[in-house]
Amino acid sequence: MDKTQILENLAHAAIEGDEDLARESAEQALSNQIDPLEAVEQGLSKGMAVVGARFESGEAFLPELLMAAGAFDAAMEILQPEIEAQKKEITKLGTVLIGTVKGDVHSIGKNVVATVLGTSGFDVVDIGVDNATLDIIQEAKKAKADVIALSSLMTTTMPAQREVIEVLEEMSLRDKFLVMVGGGPVNQEWADEIGADGYGKSAVQAAEVARRLLGREG
Amino acid sequence: MPDFLDFMERATTGQILAENDYYLKVLIPNVTKVVREFGIRYDPANPVSSDDELADRLFEAAVEFVTRTGIYCGATNRVIEVGRDELLQAVENLPDGSTFGEGRDRRRFRARRPGDERPPWCHVGTGIVASSEEIATAQVEGYGGIPQASSISIPAFGRVRGMHVVGGSPLEIYATIGSVQAGRRALGRAGRPGLPILNLISSATTSMATIAGTHPDFGLRPSDGWLIDFLAEMKVDFETLNRLAFVHVTGGNVGSTALPILGGYAGGAEGTALVMTAYYLLGILLFRGAYHLTGPVHFRHGCSTTRDGLWVMSVAGRAASHNTRYPAIGLAYAAAGPCTKEYFYEAAAANLCCVASGYAGVQTVHPAKAVIEDGVTPLEALFNVEMAYAAAGVSSERASELVNRFLQKYEDIIGEAPKGKRYQECYDLRTGKPSEEYVRLHEEIKEELTQMGVSFRF
Repeated sequence: MDKTQILENLAHAAIEGDEDLARESAEQALSNQIDPLEAVEQGLSKGMAVVGARFESGEAFLPELLMAAGAFDAAMEILQPEIEAQKKEITKLGTVLIGTVKGDVHSIGKNVVATVLGTSGFDVVDIGVDNATLDIIQEAKKAKADVIALSSLMTTTMPAQREVIEVLEEMSLRDKFLVMVGGGPVNQEWADEIGADGYGKSAVQAAEVARRLLGREG
Repeated sequence: MPDFLDFMERATTGQILAENDYYLKVLIPNVTKVVREFGIRYDPANPVSSDDELADRLFEAAVEFVTRTGIYCGATNRVIEVGRDELLQAVENLPDGSTFGEGRDRRRFRARRPGDERPPWCHVGTGIVASSEEIATAQVEGYGGIPQASSISIPAFGRVRGMHVVGGSPLEIYATIGSVQAGRRALGRAGRPGLPILNLISSATTSMATIAGTHPDFGLRPSDGWLIDFLAEMKVDFETLNRLAFVHVTGGNVGSTALPILGGYAGGAEGTALVMTAYYLLGILLFRGAYHLTGPVHFRHGCSTTRDGLWVMSVAGRAASHNTRYPAIGLAYAAAGPCTKEYFYEAAAANLCCVASGYAGVQTVHPAKAVIEDGVTPLEALFNVEMAYAAAGVSSERASELVNRFLQKYEDIIGEAPKGKRYQECYDLRTGKPSEEYVRLHEEIKEELTQMGVSFRF
C-alpha cells in the first residue's frame, strides 16, 4: 500500500470513527517508514477536520465526534511512542483547562468543547463539573494552563464564571491566564460584562477563539 | 416490583464503568443498534407524525433500549440495571391519572390520545429567572389570571438583596424559599390560591435547596408537582436521588422530567426520539412519577421548534400516549423571545404538534431558549393556552400541514432568531398590563393564524 493510501485511510478512520482501521493504518504508516508526524497531520487531523466541519454544519452529531476522537486516540497510541523516539513533538497550540463552574452538573457542552479543542491541537485538561472557584484556579496553575475555559448551562450558575475572574484579579493572577466562557445562556454581552477574554457560541468557534487568543491563527 | 431502595442498591452494586465508557461503549452503540433493529426513521416531510405503527415500534424499541442500557449513576460510577418485565409491569400498574391542586383548582390530570377532542392540561409559565421579586410576582399574578390555567411554573430568583444567586450557596436557599413564597402570594392575589405549582422550584439547583423550599411554612404542598430531572443523557446523580428519596418518604406528586439533547449523545432525530421515549419508562419505574414533563432541545440552536425537534416531540409523545396512561406535559423551547412574530409561530407549531400527538398537557413554550432574565410575560402564556385549545381535536395529518406552514415562517432564520423584549419592556410594571404594541401584535398574529386555518375557541 502506498503512502497516499495509508494517509487517506487514517483520515477515513477518523471520519468513520473506526478504531480498528485507525490502529491498522497507524501500524502500516510506521512499517512503511512514513514520518509519524506526517501521519498525524496529513492523515488523522485531516479526517478530524472533516468531522469537525460536519459537526459545525449540523450534518454530524456528538456520537460521530466522539467516535472520531476515539479513532484518533487509538492511532495516537501507536504513533506517539514513535514520535517521541524520534525526539519530535506535535506542535501544541497551548494548554486549555476546561470545567463546568460551581453548582452546575451539566457536562455535554463542556465535553464537546473539550473534544474539539483536543482534536484541534490543544492540550486539554478537563476537570469535570461542579468545580469550586479556587479549585479551578489551583488546577489551572498546576496544569500551567494558557487558557481557562468555563462552562455554565444555567442562568443561576453564570455568576460563578464572573467569580473566577474576580478571584483571579484578587489573587493577582488575572494576567497569567486567558479566560473563555461558554454555555447555553452565555453570550458575548455577558463575556464582555464580566471581563472574559473570549466567548465561543459553538465548540468549533471556541477552538477558533482560543487559537486567536493565543495568536495561533492560520 | 422494585422500589426506590432496590434501585439504590443497584446504584451501589451495578457494573462499574467510567462515564465516558458508558457513553462510548454502551449508550451510543445501543442507540445505533436499536434504531436500526426497530426501523425508526426520521420523516422531515411530516413534523407531526400520524404513524401509529411507528409509535408502537418506538415504544417497543425504548423498552429494549432501557433493558440493554440501564441508567448511569454518576455518583457511584455504576450502571443501574433495569429489567424488561419490571418495566412492563410498572407501565401496566400505572394509575388512571394524578390529582393536583386545592379547592376549586383541584383537578385530575389524565392521559390523552392523539386527536383527542378534550383540551389538554395547560401548564402555564416558565422557570426563567426573574431579576426581582416584583417582576416575579407580576408574572405569576398574570398566569393566575388565565382562567384555563391548570397549573403554573414559578420563576426562579436571580438575585437576593442585589447579590447574584450562586448554586449551592446560602443565597440559593434564600432564593428558593423566596420564590415559593412569592409564587404562592401572587396566586392568592390572583384569586387562585389552590392552583398547583408544578415545577418544584426552579431556583433550587441542589437537593438541599429543594428540601429547604418545601418546608410546609413556605407554601409548597404535596398536591403540587415535585419535578425531578434526569441528566442528559440516561444519567442520575445523588442530587437527583436525594430529591427522590425525600419526596418518596414525605409524599408528593413526583414529576419525572427529561429534556434530551437532539444532536447530543443520542445522535440525530431517531436516536433522540428513542431516548426521549426511554425516559417515560424510567419516570414510571424508577421515579414512580405522577406525571412526566419532556421535550427535546436542539444541540446547536438551543430550542425545540426545529423541524427535527418537532418530529421527535411528536413521535415520542405519540409512542407514550399510545402505550401508557402516564400523563405527560410537552415542553418546547422557542428560539425567539417575547413580543416577536417568530415566537408566536414557534409556539403555534409546538402546541399543535404536542396536542395532536396526544400529550396530556402542554407548557408555555419557553421564549428565547429560556436564557434571558425577565424574558417571559403572561401574554405568551395566554397565547399558548389559546393555541392549545385550538389544537384539541385537530388530526395529526392536519396538524402536520399547518406546522409545515408555520415552519416556513421561521425555519430559515432560527439561528438568528430575535431575542425579543423583557417583561419590563413590553409590560406596564404598575398595572401589570401588556403594552399596546404587544397587544396589537398578539391580535394580528391570531388573525393571521386564523387565515391560515387555526380555529381559535377564544
